[in-house]
Amino acid sequence: MRLLGVLCIVGGWVLAVGGLFITPSNAGRMVFACLGIALSLYGNLGVLNGYYLERAIWKK
Amino acid sequence: MKGRFGVTNLLLAAIGFISVLSVAAPLWAEEGSTVITGVAAPKSDDIAGKGDPGAELTGTVNDVTVADSKKGLTLADLANQAGQNKVAINFVWTLVTGFLVMFMQAGFALVETGLVRAKNANHTMMMNFMVYGLGLFAYWVCGFAIQMGGSAPIANLGGVYPLNHEFVANLFGKPWGLFGTKGLFLSGATYDVGIMVLFLFQMVFMDTATTIVTGACAERWKYSAFAASTIFLGALTYPLYGNWAWGGGWLSQLGANFGLGHGYCDFAGSGVVHAVGGLTGLAVAMQLGPRIGKYNRDGSPNVIPGHDLVFVLTGCFILAFGWFGFNPGSTLGASGNGCLRIGSIATNTMLAGCTGSLAALLYMWIRYGKPDASMAGNGLLAGLVAITAPSGFVNTVGAAIIGWVAGILVCLSVEFLDRIHKIDDPVGAISVHGTNGLWGVLSVGLFADGRSNYGGSWNGVNGNVTGLFYGDAGQLVAQLIGIATLLGIVFTLSYVFNWIVDVVVGQRVGARAELAGLDIPEMGALCYPDFQLKTADYGAGTSGSVAAPAVAKR
Repeated sequence: MRLLGVLCIVGGWVLAVGGLFITPSNAGRMVFACLGIALSLYGNLGVLNGYYLERAIWKK
Repeated sequence: MKGRFGVTNLLLAAIGFISVLSVAAPLWAEEGSTVITGVAAPKSDDIAGKGDPGAELTGTVNDVTVADSKKGLTLADLANQAGQNKVAINFVWTLVTGFLVMFMQAGFALVETGLVRAKNANHTMMMNFMVYGLGLFAYWVCGFAIQMGGSAPIANLGGVYPLNHEFVANLFGKPWGLFGTKGLFLSGATYDVGIMVLFLFQMVFMDTATTIVTGACAERWKYSAFAASTIFLGALTYPLYGNWAWGGGWLSQLGANFGLGHGYCDFAGSGVVHAVGGLTGLAVAMQLGPRIGKYNRDGSPNVIPGHDLVFVLTGCFILAFGWFGFNPGSTLGASGNGCLRIGSIATNTMLAGCTGSLAALLYMWIRYGKPDASMAGNGLLAGLVAITAPSGFVNTVGAAIIGWVAGILVCLSVEFLDRIHKIDDPVGAISVHGTNGLWGVLSVGLFADGRSNYGGSWNGVNGNVTGLFYGDAGQLVAQLIGIATLLGIVFTLSYVFNWIVDVVVGQRVGARAELAGLDIPEMGALCYPDFQLKTADYGAGTSGSVAAPAVAKR
């Protein structure tokens, strides 16, 4: 799950930067960048943090 | 006949040309050293007899250094003096603002220590104290070289020409500057007066990033793990992103390579310093988990009050004072193209801090019925963090709005992380520096008013830095790419390294040490040996968000 989280986070960056090569329009690049940021945040706060929440000290 | 006439003319012309040269050449050679006469200068006897109470006799032509006293004052002497004066002004400006930033460490130490319990005061203070030594050492060894090793020329500091090599990878037909290579140990040709000034200024910035992490991880972080984490941040993570943004790396070249405005613009470090520190804090806090007693079994948060609000608010004032070094100092000079914007930058800094504090205060007051002291302080810091990147590119209205948004954003972010994601951040560092660092980066792409470029081109792109609201959508895209890089690469680097530290030495102290307080188990001495500490009251039972005490009470 941690690996999946890290892959999502890095994948978000790849998506954002990849947009620079996929389209020359600012609007298109903005969409790719926003999608990439959203994916990174999901990987970070959703997947990775979810892993740690499952093992949280206050649940024990 | 015709040919003979031609040869004669040619000979005459050659003789004439040589004659002219023989007369003119010394004049050309001497042009730069034309002797200047007729400049009235006060006599030393006058000053010796009367002094100079009116400041009319001090600082005259007498004070211009003359290369050849027999020849007297020349134009070359004046030109050299003017150049040296410019660089001297910039050296002094950059050093003094660097000293102010260094003093911010005291502000961070007070804020963080005030927001933790008394039983952890020594531990928290010592983390803040030692980021200075650990971070500085790592940065001197290799961090500075990675960040600024290819950043020359920097005209305001005399060029810093030895910093002239950036490792560049050519990918997909574009050059990607990845890291600098000159300046390891500040040795060799980098033993240079301008580079020393640049190092000092950049070092205290890096130190700010490292001290942010200690706040997010306070009250349960092993001191040994903290030391390893700080060294890595100072040696690699921070310098890498710093290079991409400030050292001529690929983010700064997004404008030149992809036509995105002026490339990624971060005037004084909302992203480079604060978001890097805040996201590293998030990575470590996530791995550490919340403090014992922070959450109940049903997941509801508890309040863990800090032990000294006087520390907290005094620290905030020290930080606000230091920020006048942080932002205006980032011009790296007070003399040069655009450098006189230091007044505008300082005013923007002050305004955003004030509106941030006001917004947070009002938000908490309206939402929870009381003006919350710690959140008012965090609002001030949030405004200052947010204005750090755009401070050099926006007007006062933009600055006030940016600060206002930051003040509300920090309250929402603290609630969001505390309640929804259950990430324990004892001082609110992730929200103040991480969330608002990202907001600051974004705000450049929105509010940059197209009035400034500091010398004709910023990041190698002619024209002024202009945000979306003033007509350049490309600048906003560049800023978004910077945010994606912070979230995608910087966070990942910090997470992976600190995971290794966790495996090797362990990040978190044992439960017994945590309940007792870290002062004795980790540091061997209490911060307040003469006081009776109420350890049992807060240690295992009631606890919660210190950054937003009013939040968890309801």
